Amino acid sequence: MRLLGFLTRRGFQSIFVLFGLSILIFVIARVLPGDPARAALGARAPQWVVDRLREDMHLDEPLVAQYGYWLGDALQGDLGISLVTRRDVTDDIRDFLPASLELVMFAGLITAVGGIGLGILSARNKDKWVDNFIRIFSYMGVVTPSFVAAILLLLLFGLVLDWFPTIGRLSEGVPRPTTITGFYTIDSLLAGQFATAWDALKHLILPAVALALGSLSQEARITRSTMSDNLSKDYIAAGRALGVPERLVTGRFLLKASLIPTVSIFGLDFAATLSNAFLVELIFVWPGISRYGLNAMLRKDVNAISAVILILGITFILVNILVDLGVGALDPRIRLRAARSD
Amino acid sequence: MAREITAGELPGPITREQVKQLQRKNRRENLGRSWYKFSRNPLSVIGGATILVIVLVAVFAPWVAPFPEHAKPFTDFANASKPPSAQHLFGTDEIGRDILSRVIFGFRFSLTMGIVVLTLVVPTGVVLGLLAGYYQGSWLDTIIMRITDIFLAVPSLILALAIAAVLEPNLFNAMVAVSLMWWPWYTRLSYGLASTLRNEFYVTSAETLGAGKLHILFREILPNMTSPIFTKMSLDMGWVIIIGATLSFVGLGVQPPRPGLGTMMASGAKYLPDQWWIAVFPALGIVVVVLGFNLLGDGLRDLFSAEGV
Amino acid sequence: MKRLLPILLGIALLAAACTPTPAVEEPPPEEPGAPEEPAAPEEPAAPEEPVPLRITFAWPTFIDPAVGNDFSSSHAMTNLYDSLVFPTADGTMDPWLAESWEVSDDGLTYTFRLRDGVKFHDGSDLEASDVVYSYNRFQDIGEGFAYVVSGAEVSAPDDRTVEFQLSAQSGLFIPSLVRLYVVNEDLVRANTLAEGPYGAEGDYGKEWLLTNDAGSGPYQVVEFPLEEYLLMDKFEGWWNAAAFNPNAPDQVRFIATTETVTVRSLMDDGELEITDQWQTIEALEALDAMDGVSSMAFPTMNSFYYMMNNRKAPLDDVNCRRAVSYAFDYDQAVALEWPGTKQMVGPVPATLGGHNPDVTVYKRDLDKAREELALCQYGDDIADYPIEVVWIAEVPAEEKWALLFQANMADIGIPVEVVSNPWLSVVENTSSQETSPHIVTIYVTASLPEAGAMLQDRYHSSTAATWQQNEWLLDEDLDARIEDALATVDQEQRFAKYAELQAELADQAVSLFLYDQLQKHAVADYVDWRPEANSPVQGYQIYAPFIGVSPP
Repeated sequence: MRLLGFLTRRGFQSIFVLFGLSILIFVIARVLPGDPARAALGARAPQWVVDRLREDMHLDEPLVAQYGYWLGDALQGDLGISLVTRRDVTDDIRDFLPASLELVMFAGLITAVGGIGLGILSARNKDKWVDNFIRIFSYMGVVTPSFVAAILLLLLFGLVLDWFPTIGRLSEGVPRPTTITGFYTIDSLLAGQFATAWDALKHLILPAVALALGSLSQEARITRSTMSDNLSKDYIAAGRALGVPERLVTGRFLLKASLIPTVSIFGLDFAATLSNAFLVELIFVWPGISRYGLNAMLRKDVNAISAVILILGITFILVNILVDLGVGALDPRIRLRAARSD
Repeated sequence: MAREITAGELPGPITREQVKQLQRKNRRENLGRSWYKFSRNPLSVIGGATILVIVLVAVFAPWVAPFPEHAKPFTDFANASKPPSAQHLFGTDEIGRDILSRVIFGFRFSLTMGIVVLTLVVPTGVVLGLLAGYYQGSWLDTIIMRITDIFLAVPSLILALAIAAVLEPNLFNAMVAVSLMWWPWYTRLSYGLASTLRNEFYVTSAETLGAGKLHILFREILPNMTSPIFTKMSLDMGWVIIIGATLSFVGLGVQPPRPGLGTMMASGAKYLPDQWWIAVFPALGIVVVVLGFNLLGDGLRDLFSAEGV
Repeated sequence: MKRLLPILLGIALLAAACTPTPAVEEPPPEEPGAPEEPAAPEEPAAPEEPVPLRITFAWPTFIDPAVGNDFSSSHAMTNLYDSLVFPTADGTMDPWLAESWEVSDDGLTYTFRLRDGVKFHDGSDLEASDVVYSYNRFQDIGEGFAYVVSGAEVSAPDDRTVEFQLSAQSGLFIPSLVRLYVVNEDLVRANTLAEGPYGAEGDYGKEWLLTNDAGSGPYQVVEFPLEEYLLMDKFEGWWNAAAFNPNAPDQVRFIATTETVTVRSLMDDGELEITDQWQTIEALEALDAMDGVSSMAFPTMNSFYYMMNNRKAPLDDVNCRRAVSYAFDYDQAVALEWPGTKQMVGPVPATLGGHNPDVTVYKRDLDKAREELALCQYGDDIADYPIEVVWIAEVPAEEKWALLFQANMADIGIPVEVVSNPWLSVVENTSSQETSPHIVTIYVTASLPEAGAMLQDRYHSSTAATWQQNEWLLDEDLDARIEDALATVDQEQRFAKYAELQAELADQAVSLFLYDQLQKHAVADYVDWRPEANSPVQGYQIYAPFIGVSPP
């Protein structure tokens, strides 16, 4: 019941936020100098062709009316036509979103496993060389912009060592698996095509690592500091004194309590990952929504810009709700507070 | 912490002047203590020193850079794309310009970006958050915080990219775009602080004594929020610089021939991997500045959290 | 920091040190025989891997013949579709889908006889009605190359005959037909959405044709995930199958990237045959140094102009324009390009039919430049008239020439400000006289292989409000003379008129004519590709049927 209440409240808040966001992005996308129709059709298209497109897109009407049309259509699932791909934006999103989600989720997995793993390793070996190495590594990870990391990884592992492919989601000649989830790795596993799954995984690794590097380092640092703080707490000492098995002490008491800050910044990390995907997808020619969105921005593709930001906004809001649920599951105090405020 | 004041020191009722003197003394001592703690952490000192050096180098770039004219429109095709050497420590780019000099001037753009954005964003964000936090539960709170939510509903870089893309691409517009996306973070931070601080004893007693709202907001609450805000500012300098470099990298920030670090990386990326120095040194420049601000920010955070803020 | 700097440097150095030696996996199988020799057929090899031709391209690519008109789109269209005529290297037109044609005495009616036995990719016959439908669809949509082919009424008296009724005489009508790609009417209609901006024609099949083809050309679309790649298969039923190179690729793949490192890595792994044309000279040199890869360049119909605004002081004075023209260092400009690049001779690329080689060609001569400057009305206070040079931000290499221009002008005291603008801003700014900069630096491709087409695109008033003309000549007399030249059916007379116009424009120094651009690619050595043997018309350089691919 409490959970239901929480979800309903967050649902209403999210709808309000999305409505506001839709106005914001509409203003950003439409109040731009220049004529998007002319930009899309090129200088050599005759004026009557441009005028027809402007009419189709209601570009000649006042902004409020344009927003009305856009919102009305959007609520029916029609986000207009992209000026770059010249087809429905919803089709583009259907094609490009799964690639991004697969990449971002894989990066999230690397972040979670790698970050927490390194953090624990660091805390366990506090002030030894392992710890120092991890700390320096994670510091560098935090401060290196993802596009710099992407280019370095591409150069080193793609070109010099040649361990990983550098472009796209699958090698050429490898047939794409039938779409079930849109994630090539999962789809090909479901279809029993292990070679394809392996190929898809190899393509995922470099961009995902480039994406995950910053968040992973952040998570490692947070996990390390909370774990080493908690190690000196009384309840750990008490647990050990009472003869609770060490596995239980670190695994159950320590890790669970230490993960709270780690999980709660996961929302922020996810935001960073989503943003960084804009450049990483560009560099690795990853056919995802972020590369599409960046191209749309650079080419003033009004409908595509609005749609991409809206979709990313929805994704981000959902992730934040999940993160809050996760933190609640880990920390009874937060659960209680949430219950009280209901 | 509190110093005991003996009767000998206080012969009569204290004058305003004496109070001020005491306050000054206290502040000096606090500062000394803080500096002592700060200087005990080698990483923070390295961070602070890095930033100091970068700021000095950037300010005195025309005198420090070996070839200051190379940061301006300049061509020397005979010396194009030369690898690092004694004469050009970082090599030259495809137009024959000394990369070291350009990186030094590049720091100017990065620092300008960070300083201008934070100067715009921090006062706006903090005042809004302060108001919303102090009047928690009122319509003011609702309006400010819901608008903040909207701006925070999408990662800042994405909206900044979108805004920068619709504006004419240059450093100024990049700063505008980032600023428009960055204030909500300070609103949220100071909202949280203010809504806690407003229940503190000294605030409620000031209220009972009939102090004006302005006094309470800016003299009682605000001074107690500065430490976390300064910490965040130091860390944010790094992030804003990264975002600025990212915008420049996709062509939406500093425009060539001006030597923005991201701008140089973007044009240098075309010459990878053979003429690696054209892209790698500007990239290192970005990393070093950001690292400096992060070390400094972490040092400040440790310092303030040790003081129990 | 101290510890990290060397590490990063080390990585970078490693990257630099390792790349010139590509992974030596196997010694190159030194075959003494000519590579053209068809692969020995006696090898009873298992089901053979299809031989691919892989090329990187800049996205987007529009394969709908009524929509696409840029570099990658035109290359896709030429390989997927056929037109009535086919351009040759010497600028003439070969019969193609049209077996022959006749012109009426008044020069207004063209009657084409279609070839028998031409099949579309779905196996249906190509008929005269398909040509009529293609033309009407093209004109109604009005995008892409529609501006090249227009002003006619088209009808099909019978299955094999097509009649074009022109509204005015035109010397360029036959060449313009290379852009009329014939689509399969039945197939397009079957895939047309009823709802769309074209009234009874619905969406004219635009959405479907975005990722599918309805052509009869030598290749057909297999798979086209947008922004990723375009994969085409050889069409064995092509009517002109005899023209296939014996080693013509089984598959053609356009890969949507131009990132230097990615392209290099693909080439290094043997996953790319031809690079895109956007690689820098440095990148091409590095690719050339790789084993089994060579860089090459060939002339195009593309030239690099510094478009001077003839209506903005100080460039509104012909003497100032000449001063600028004499002060610029063309030899240095050409030296910054690929070896073999030549300075432009007059206002159109030298590859075009009707190009005039006997025009004023400006060379750097500071004395002459100063003389002209002294004659210019702004000569005395030229320092008060700074010239703004805008280069296209998306083409970073252009910065070099802009900075060279600035340095050159400083020698005669003309102050220059160098600015980069994104392409869309340039398009926007050049659309009105007030916002047009002093100079904008643009590569322009002729739409048809004749000088007149370029003269019209560049200097006729109809293009003044577009990026194709920053000169703002707006000269009615010139317009009339260009129109008259284009309407001249007799080639010799037409070319004579072109020649006169070119000489005059060069004398007036309306623009700075930098160089004729060479199209540059790095190519795997097992590819037998002779672009010079093809027409310079855009889209016909990488014509897959004529390319032989024999991977080791």
